[in-house]
Amino acid sequence: MLGHMALGDLEREVMTQLWDAGEPLTVRQVHERLSRQRDLAYTTVMTVLDRLAKKGVVTQQKADRAYRYAPAQTREEMTASVMLDALTSSDDQDAALAYFVGRLPPDALAAAIEAARKK
Amino acid sequence: MTALLLGALGLTLSLIVPGILANARWPDRAPVAAVVLWQAVTLTAVLAALGVVLAAPEEVTRAAGSGRPVVEAALIGALAVAALIIVRLLVSLIGVSRRSRARRARHRMLVDLLDRAEQHRELGPDNLRVLDGPLPLAYCVPGREPRVVLSHGVLQVLDREQVDAVLAHEQTHLRHRHEVVMESFTAFYRAVPRPLRSRLPLDAVHLLLEMIADDVARRRVGAAPLRAALERLSDAVPLTEDAAADPRGDARRRRLARLGESHTGSVALTVLVTVAAAGLLVLPTVILVVPWLDRALEAWPLS
Repeated sequence: MLGHMALGDLEREVMTQLWDAGEPLTVRQVHERLSRQRDLAYTTVMTVLDRLAKKGVVTQQKADRAYRYAPAQTREEMTASVMLDALTSSDDQDAALAYFVGRLPPDALAAAIEAARKK
Repeated sequence: MTALLLGALGLTLSLIVPGILANARWPDRAPVAAVVLWQAVTLTAVLAALGVVLAAPEEVTRAAGSGRPVVEAALIGALAVAALIIVRLLVSLIGVSRRSRARRARHRMLVDLLDRAEQHRELGPDNLRVLDGPLPLAYCVPGREPRVVLSHGVLQVLDREQVDAVLAHEQTHLRHRHEVVMESFTAFYRAVPRPLRSRLPLDAVHLLLEMIADDVARRRVGAAPLRAALERLSDAVPLTEDAAADPRGDARRRRLARLGESHTGSVALTVLVTVAAAGLLVLPTVILVVPWLDRALEAWPLS
């Protein structure tokens, strides 16, 4: 059903479409945008959006008898929260991830991410 | 007597030895053996505690010439406390590894979605993910489907050779399953009652694992690019020097210093420390526990 594309790549591309659109999209709209580059079944796009909604990274809203999908966070927000998670250390989290530069206290890191974003 | 000696050993290993080991500089020349020694120290301390719990009631009741019912009750109590210690350690280990797995799975899902695949096609590894943003950041997400994550900032401040050094360093963490070592020390830390907890082993082992990854990366790409990458990345994250875990930037200085030397590894030291670790684990059992077990089993009250 997915042809040569892995599910992970497809999920990433669907997210990119939603982020770039800047407004909620229907399944048909996402399908149209992705179909410009390749052959893709409508039901596949539906399945992927459903999976992303279940993961909590996409929200589903009903408008004009059609479901529309929007990212739960902007790309910048999600990137910042991932970086914060990566660099935050606590007793519980020490074992979770390994870092190259060493550990930072969370508020110092939040400030650093914010400062870097404004540059 | 056995209980007293085991108690002294356990207290020495949990209160005195960690401070000495954490301040020593020789582990920089034999980081793998030093990690093994930390594991032996921790495990022997646990075994000594179990030994005290089992031996003390038997020795006290025997010395006091207590009657059979008292000896039996003391033995059952001792077995119960020993079981409690073991269960507490296991519960802690299971909890830490379950929470770490869940956090990593979610983190992996998010970096997969945020990946800018078009920015790193030529860099190679399939498990590499690149995030947007100028703040230079490099780390790995261990697990069955591991990821190495770089921020776009890393690709801007490092040249190709230095990026390869960072990748080799992170891939070493993943290939050697360093997270399993950290998880076991974290689990032990959390299982110890709060007033007795010490972060020394956790922080020391973390730094040693970084050194091990540095050593593999330097063998692959040379010390110079790795050293440059480490300097540039920690300079670019401006607040590293204030970090609570490394208040004086000591960890970074130690890593940079050993990358500046021509050869840091010492085979003799590695062998010596590994033998010491094995001895620490085996000798107390042979010298203290076996003779006591002989005496105790002769008078085994539950048979």
